[in-house]
Amino acid sequence: MNGTARTARAEPRTSLGEHLRTALGLTGTHLGCEQGDCGACAVLLDGEPVCSCLVLAVQADGCRVETVESLARGDDLGPAQRALLEEHGLQCGFCTPGLLMRMTHARRTGAPASDVLGGHLCRCTGYGGLRAAVERHCAVEARKEDQP
Amino acid sequence: MTTRVHIGLPVPPRNHPALLRGRGRFVDDLPFPGARHVAVLRSPVAHGRVTAFDATAARADPRCLLVLGPADVAELTDPIPLAWLLPDQRLDHVELAVDVVRYAGQPIGLVVATDRAAAEDVAELVDVRVEPLPAVASTAAALAPGAPRLHAEAEGNVVGRTHFGTPRDRLDEAFAEAHLVVEREFGIQRVSHSPLEPRGLVAEWEPGPGLLTVHASTQSPHAVRQELAAVLRLRADRVRVVARDVGGSFGGKVALHADEALVCLAAVVLGGQVKWVEDRVENLTAAYQGRGQRTRARLAVAADGRFLALHADVVGDLGAFAVQAGSGPLQVTALTIEGPYRFPAAGGTVTAVCTNLVPVGAYRGYGMQESTFIRERLVDEAARELGVDPVALRLRNMVEPGDMPYTTCTGLVYDSGDYSAALRSAARRVAPPSSAGPVRRGSAVTATVEMSGFAPSALIRQFDIAWAGWEGVRLVVNHDGTVTVHAGVTAVGQGIETSLAQIAADGLGVPLRWVDVRLGDTATAPHSDLASQASRALVLAGGALLRAAARLRARVLGLAARALDVPEADVVLDVPADVEPGSPEAVFRGASGVISWRELAHRAWRGWHRPEGVERIRLEENVDFDPPAITFAHGAHGAAVAVDVDTGVVTVEDYWTVHDNGVLVNPLVAEGQVVGGVAQGIGLALFEEVRHDPDTAEPLSTTFREYPLPAARDVPRVDVRHLCTPSPANPGGFKGLGEGGAIPPAATIACAVAAAVPEIAEVLTATPMTPERVWAALREAGIEGSPQWTER
Repeated sequence: MNGTARTARAEPRTSLGEHLRTALGLTGTHLGCEQGDCGACAVLLDGEPVCSCLVLAVQADGCRVETVESLARGDDLGPAQRALLEEHGLQCGFCTPGLLMRMTHARRTGAPASDVLGGHLCRCTGYGGLRAAVERHCAVEARKEDQP
Repeated sequence: MTTRVHIGLPVPPRNHPALLRGRGRFVDDLPFPGARHVAVLRSPVAHGRVTAFDATAARADPRCLLVLGPADVAELTDPIPLAWLLPDQRLDHVELAVDVVRYAGQPIGLVVATDRAAAEDVAELVDVRVEPLPAVASTAAALAPGAPRLHAEAEGNVVGRTHFGTPRDRLDEAFAEAHLVVEREFGIQRVSHSPLEPRGLVAEWEPGPGLLTVHASTQSPHAVRQELAAVLRLRADRVRVVARDVGGSFGGKVALHADEALVCLAAVVLGGQVKWVEDRVENLTAAYQGRGQRTRARLAVAADGRFLALHADVVGDLGAFAVQAGSGPLQVTALTIEGPYRFPAAGGTVTAVCTNLVPVGAYRGYGMQESTFIRERLVDEAARELGVDPVALRLRNMVEPGDMPYTTCTGLVYDSGDYSAALRSAARRVAPPSSAGPVRRGSAVTATVEMSGFAPSALIRQFDIAWAGWEGVRLVVNHDGTVTVHAGVTAVGQGIETSLAQIAADGLGVPLRWVDVRLGDTATAPHSDLASQASRALVLAGGALLRAAARLRARVLGLAARALDVPEADVVLDVPADVEPGSPEAVFRGASGVISWRELAHRAWRGWHRPEGVERIRLEENVDFDPPAITFAHGAHGAAVAVDVDTGVVTVEDYWTVHDNGVLVNPLVAEGQVVGGVAQGIGLALFEEVRHDPDTAEPLSTTFREYPLPAARDVPRVDVRHLCTPSPANPGGFKGLGEGGAIPPAATIACAVAAAVPEIAEVLTATPMTPERVWAALREAGIEGSPQWTER
């Protein structure tokens, strides 16, 4: 769990998203629809983006889970966070954690911006600054920054 | 005189870093580990009589803590009072204790259990029997002879009627003499606000002091507090409502809903904390919705293109009952029907009808999206029938800056703006599209005027609305030199906290980060009935804050002069841009020396340096701002669309906006508001529609698959421009912009579709323009698709 081994009991019917929020106290991941439609609850499960409302907590047993809480390094925001901040890519911020995880995945894998935008609903921004941030973040030149 | 340093800068909203770190504090994120959870028991049918409510089996479940049914609710609560009635309206409250249900999803009672899943399990054990009654699923069905009657207080299912503007007989005369009359019936569908964060609250009752504290996802904590006090029979000073982060609202979180009141009742009955967060199905089927009207409207034009008369006969769908503001949006449609044009005669008639659908409340645009759609479509149709350029026809009839202040036939007084300049600017930038093959392309521009900064208390009183229109702020320089703004308006993702900080910083002449802004807590925020709705937060709270800052700055300079023993006029505040409030470099300078900002603040709170006879010590200013008038923003939008005649799919390919919102405090926030509004407008124009079964009135739009929100692919890049005519109606010259982006898109897109396919222009009078409807219109007009499709 964000680089640390965590143990917590879960009811078989509890979704991963709810488990993260309640048993593990990680409330950064938000549940927008609980039906896999909106993307707000996206987390990375063994590196792949999933809607945490559609995955049962027990399915994540032994897996590597990454959430929005893992993206900043101390006081420094991560690249996806910086892009959204600088491009005004959020308003109310409720859907943002899921978007950030999909952006993070895209940057690692080279997936295009359209993959990120296609899986996410935002009701506030009209995708103006949001699209600019995702495109900037997923651009080939931007990824070069990540090379050590 | 305020020097603008921060006002006008694109400052990123100050809460964004925390939100980006996952440190938001939305209701469901708040740490209340001991809270018990609610599941609301809802009617499965749209109309029926509750004949039994048996909770025996539920109460036997060890996880069950409380069940409340209609009898308990009747004993323990009063109804929610309404604030805005039609002149003859007899339905004047929202019932909480329900023996007749009037929409599918209406709350009947609730269950409290140890956790959310347990509450849902236990809810299934409650035996609620509802004997179905015939339901009406539309205003047409509700008004039909022999329709089932929903309320004793609404004969023929008509809740109330009114008329604004030129009397009907004079309107009829004007139409009788006209060269051209364009008459159409318009349909604007019901929509769902669908904020990504649904409604929710945590209510805590402390039985000792008898205090109810409610953390809620709301736009209007003070209004919710007043309504809760009335419903639960509590003193106003024993109810506190707190809104932390709110995940979108758009008008859907302005008023207390019945289910929310029941959750608070459960807390009072049980003691301690009770929590409820609605799920998406509940949000789509039980939360108040927006829009919903059928309107017959006509426009009279002289042979030379002058507009002679305009009349809209609005039939609005209130749903199961009138909510707090009830027919407000319908009345605003009638009041704003004239828009930016001059009319010798114009008016709007409103008939508010109840149906067995979800109640309708405020939604971004509040009746003005509807009036703009009706008027702009009529104007475009008049241009088509006259064979003249639609932009030229609009310009011919526009209210010009020299006409200001301009009074409309319905009695609105426009304060300022250059409506023609906005339309010309938009028209210049809209590129004429090219059409080829099975895809037709067209473009159009429309114009609108937006009521904002609602409203002078005297005007609200004139409309007999039970709200206050003023806005208050409390501006404090703390003993350590930091600055705190308390305001009654609320932050719902629109960035108001940042704009207010910019205004306070400039008003006092201090760096931006010295200022903290605290909103949303009725224990500390100045009273506000309307808070952040009606495009008013910046206009009114910003106006109050400028005045508060000017007064506080004058007081601080006076104290500094006495501390330095020099005349006030000789004191200069000298603050380098990047220092902290405690810095020795942030100083007042006089001929005799310097005193630091922090030292002066500290001494001021001790009561030092004040002139003899002055009792006031606290370094804070409370200012209430009751505006002299509504201020009217305005704008013009342009759209370029592609219509696929094979499929009926309409794609918005380009979009342009020009708005005049007076002085812009934060262009980044302003652009975000416009673009976000345009996206909601595109959804309404093309696909968003809350649908119900036409016979049973039961909901068909229960997930985001049946109620799709605009996705990134649906919204093109939006070109945003601003003109600036400072408002004369408030100290900052501000005009509202929270709704402006959402108002014109449906009209603009429909006019662009009409330009692309003039053969169907006459029937482009209803939204959403879904592929199915556009395809049917194309075929009806004899436009066949590509041969390979039509031959099949």
